[in-house]
Amino acid sequence: MTRTAGIPTPVEPGRGGEPGLLAGWLTSTDHKRIGLLTLGTSLVMMLIAGGLAMVMRAQLAQPELEVLTNDRYNQFFTMHGSMMIYLVMTPFAIGAGLYLVPLQIGAPNVAAPRTTMTGYWLYLVGGLIILSGFFTTSGAADHGWYSYPPLASSRYTPGAGVSLWIIGVGLVALGLLLMAATVLWTALLKRAEGMTMLRMPVFSWSIVATNLMVIGAFPTLLVAVGILAFGRVNPDIFTDNVWNIGYQHLFWFFGHPVVYVMFFPFVGAVAEVLATFARRRFFGYKFFVGSQLLFAALSMSVWGHHMFTTNESSDYYYSLMSIALIIPAGIEYFDMLATVVGGRLRFTAPMLFALAFIPQFLIGGLTGIMTATPAIDYQITDSYFIVAHWHYTLAAGSLFGLFAAVYFWWPKASGRMLREGLGKVHFWLWVIGTNVTFLPMFWLGMEGMPRRIPSYLPEDGFGTGNLIATIGAGLLALGGLVFITNVVISFLRPRWAPPDPWGGHTCEWATSCPPPRHNFDARHPVPPVRSYAPLLDLREEKERQAKAGAG
Amino acid sequence: MPFRSVFDQIFTIWTAIAGGVFVLVTAVLLFAVVRNRATKREHLPFAASENHKVEFGYVVVLGLIVAGLVTGSFLAISRLHSGEGLAEEAMAGPSTRIDVTAFRWCWEFAYAEAPVTVTGTCTSDDSPVVVVPTDRPVEFALTSSDVVHSFWIPDWAAKMDAYPDDVNELRMVFPEEGMWRGLCSEFCGTHHVTMDFYVRAVSPAEYEQYLAAASVAA
Ligand SMILES: [Cu+2]
Repeated sequence: MTRTAGIPTPVEPGRGGEPGLLAGWLTSTDHKRIGLLTLGTSLVMMLIAGGLAMVMRAQLAQPELEVLTNDRYNQFFTMHGSMMIYLVMTPFAIGAGLYLVPLQIGAPNVAAPRTTMTGYWLYLVGGLIILSGFFTTSGAADHGWYSYPPLASSRYTPGAGVSLWIIGVGLVALGLLLMAATVLWTALLKRAEGMTMLRMPVFSWSIVATNLMVIGAFPTLLVAVGILAFGRVNPDIFTDNVWNIGYQHLFWFFGHPVVYVMFFPFVGAVAEVLATFARRRFFGYKFFVGSQLLFAALSMSVWGHHMFTTNESSDYYYSLMSIALIIPAGIEYFDMLATVVGGRLRFTAPMLFALAFIPQFLIGGLTGIMTATPAIDYQITDSYFIVAHWHYTLAAGSLFGLFAAVYFWWPKASGRMLREGLGKVHFWLWVIGTNVTFLPMFWLGMEGMPRRIPSYLPEDGFGTGNLIATIGAGLLALGGLVFITNVVISFLRPRWAPPDPWGGHTCEWATSCPPPRHNFDARHPVPPVRSYAPLLDLREEKERQAKAGAG
Repeated sequence: MPFRSVFDQIFTIWTAIAGGVFVLVTAVLLFAVVRNRATKREHLPFAASENHKVEFGYVVVLGLIVAGLVTGSFLAISRLHSGEGLAEEAMAGPSTRIDVTAFRWCWEFAYAEAPVTVTGTCTSDDSPVVVVPTDRPVEFALTSSDVVHSFWIPDWAAKMDAYPDDVNELRMVFPEEGMWRGLCSEFCGTHHVTMDFYVRAVSPAEYEQYLAAASVAA
């Protein structure tokens, strides 16, 4: 197969007979293929989870609508949350690291590729098991994504859905743990010559911090779902409350770091995009790297702020630790702003998503200080205020970072450009849609609307806010369709991408689009690395020589 | 605990600070977006990619902000737990104790002072109404007979979880007469959405009358 650009597509070296296309992908030992499988799977999962959200928004548009029964609605919000967290944002974050880190650090492949592929398989099978609940007689899991016992026991939620959920989440957690471990190993030990730790690109550093948290926190999730699995067999253990509270501690010990797993790689991607389209070196590299490590360390000691109303977690300690998160977050904001203030800006689709990330995530961060203040948290927790808060962090924030990354690296991964015009339409629909959807939820929460309710009464006064939110969700759906159209067009009417369409800073832009089997070859060698922006170094060197030559 | 007044005060201050930070960051960003278009600028506004003095100074500023916010949060917590005036009384003095049992999917309120129990089915206008005295500490002793529930009175910014095999105490004072809706805010299954109750605060004299009449009826 050859392409119009004349560069032959790299072919997997066959070992006695070429495997079929599908088999070739599913048994690949190439980090790029395993990475793309992970990213592609998570995007399909996002489509399903988004569809569930649209049905819920339809039901909540007006008081007393009954699109779904209570139980069906409960399945939908449980699966929406579970999918977005376990099957979309977390795997995308780790999968993006798997695809990009070896390219960014000049490595030919991920360490232990078969273990990594096993990780993908566990994720895929676990995800399908969670989803298969919809095809059982009692439906999918309907007990909420954090699965508190005793509700999660077979006594109170007897159907197969919860059992499948527990097995699936266990497999996914194990799979992602394996994947995170091999990528971390790669970043620490497989770097190209000259690529010291403090020359690793910002995105790769964000993946190092992310994967450290995965290794620190995911084993606890495995223990927690182990307790749940035991409770499916013997629900009597939860009559002793120590198991209920103990579960919550274990779960949130995982639950808070995983929030940052769903944040760091996206802030890392935003940093790369900002620097590239500001045509300058990212500002404050060392402090940024330090802040990510501090962030990761602190993330392991703030879980109690999810549990203030349990009366089992210290108000003072967790308030202090949680508010201290302002320090690493503040550093990252300073560095992103300084890069934009000190740059010459080009407003491409990825840049627009990256720029919108800054104020939108900030709303999530600032309301996060409120949740870290027990006197406020007692009122807003489990209300729509909280729903608004973490949708600002995860949807208005991380998801915008995710799409900045998709638009930015799509040419690298696929060899094709996405259409800029459609990208911008997607962007504007999403900026408007996101804020129209999630801003009213702050007010709904303040008016006393609890989360996880399938409907409300006309006299509750939640009608207007919910109607606005549903209209916003419609815009998000429309934006999603525009993105899918863009992807389809890039395959049907390809515009081939040059190796470096954006003027990138990091090693992956030195190789072809898509990169050859082992990332770099004789025609595309690893560039000399003297800083965290090696390609920018080369361009600056050239400019200096041109000037010297002219002068 | 004087939940509402503490909440209102600190929430207002925090919202003002958050609003200020948001406006500042967004203004800087918009300024850069307008001023720094590549088509308008031939050179970078500044070339430095680090400045350790500025960055260290900024970290110190962040540390001070954290110190300020933590102090505010701690003061609010201590006002919740010990408070002043009525709140102090609520934490120390004798109180009207009401044993609250959450169950799927309604509530039971049992008065410690008299053989009076209030419950309901929480279906179509059968929500329990718990009568409490004003200006006197009321202690809700919360437990559950099945899964985790949460006792929430949004108008008073008061919320506490109810667990099986455990009692969580929520002490508060109702400073005025009135009737407020309460609800379950921890997801507990199919009819979680309709787990409503009402709190009706009446004068202490009227409260005594209510208990006496209800005891006779029982
Ligand atoms: Cu309940």
